[in-house]
Amino acid sequence: MAIGCALAMVSQTNPLYSAISLIGVFISLASIYVTLAAPFIAAVQVIVYAGAIMVLVIFVIMLLNVEHAEPRRRRLKFLVPLSIAMAGVLLAETAFILYSVQTTENHLAGSLSNVGLTHSIGEGLFTRYLLPFEVTSVLLLMAIVGAMSLARRADILSSSARVVPGAQVLAMDIVNPAAVGDLRPVETESTEEAAHLLGVDFHSDRDRAE
Amino acid sequence: MGPQLSWYLALSAVLFTIGAVGVIIKRNVIAMFMCIELMLNAVNLTFVAFSSFFQDVTGQLFVFIVMTVAAAEAAVGLGIIIAIFRNRETLDVDDASILKL
Repeated sequence: MAIGCALAMVSQTNPLYSAISLIGVFISLASIYVTLAAPFIAAVQVIVYAGAIMVLVIFVIMLLNVEHAEPRRRRLKFLVPLSIAMAGVLLAETAFILYSVQTTENHLAGSLSNVGLTHSIGEGLFTRYLLPFEVTSVLLLMAIVGAMSLARRADILSSSARVVPGAQVLAMDIVNPAAVGDLRPVETESTEEAAHLLGVDFHSDRDRAE
Repeated sequence: MGPQLSWYLALSAVLFTIGAVGVIIKRNVIAMFMCIELMLNAVNLTFVAFSSFFQDVTGQLFVFIVMTVAAAEAAVGLGIIIAIFRNRETLDVDDASILKL
């Protein structure tokens, strides 16, 4: 079932159907994890992959909404036979390795041990593998900051922005785009000062109005 | 007698190969992105299979970390995709072959 869903995913041209097939792959992998006595990983697989990541992907597909499939250009047509040849090589390597390496004890041990339960995973994560855990948290922080700075618009104010006449109090993150989320007030004495802080040409606006 | 370890490894290899083929032949950025996710999942399957056959919890810890990395990659990658789409109005990777926006 996982293989069928994966093949459907690659063969679909519409990315939305492809995403739904990928969800099928994730769900079937989660059930395989349950049979492998790893219930925590199965739950995380369903929640994180089939839940969070695929919702994000489908959201982006809907947001960008590119329906028309452009015709293939001739320049990259050699990639299809090349990829099939590479797939053949990969599968042949795997078959060779599986055929030649059969020395290990090869049966699933009984489910008496507590490997795979949440308790043992948490214990390992916070004792032996504390450093990778912390590095992962730093990585997540970097991803948050990077995603914010990528998705933020380059300039907050458009070129047609006007300044409200008079002295006013502005938020710091409007005046300085680098200080996102900083809501400290910046007080201005006059319209000219506010226009200067915002980078908007106040006099030209007034001249145009006249 | 339960299923053997090599069956899981073969399934994982097939999934990884499908993902690799998809990355090569797909043109849509989002489709390539999902193929990369499929390859990560294939590797996760080998980790879990070895972990439960050798009764060692280390493999499952690494699966956890790989999932975290995949989530971070999803956030940043989709941000990059949106930025590219804003600048170029296309999702075809061949149109984004130069780094300059």
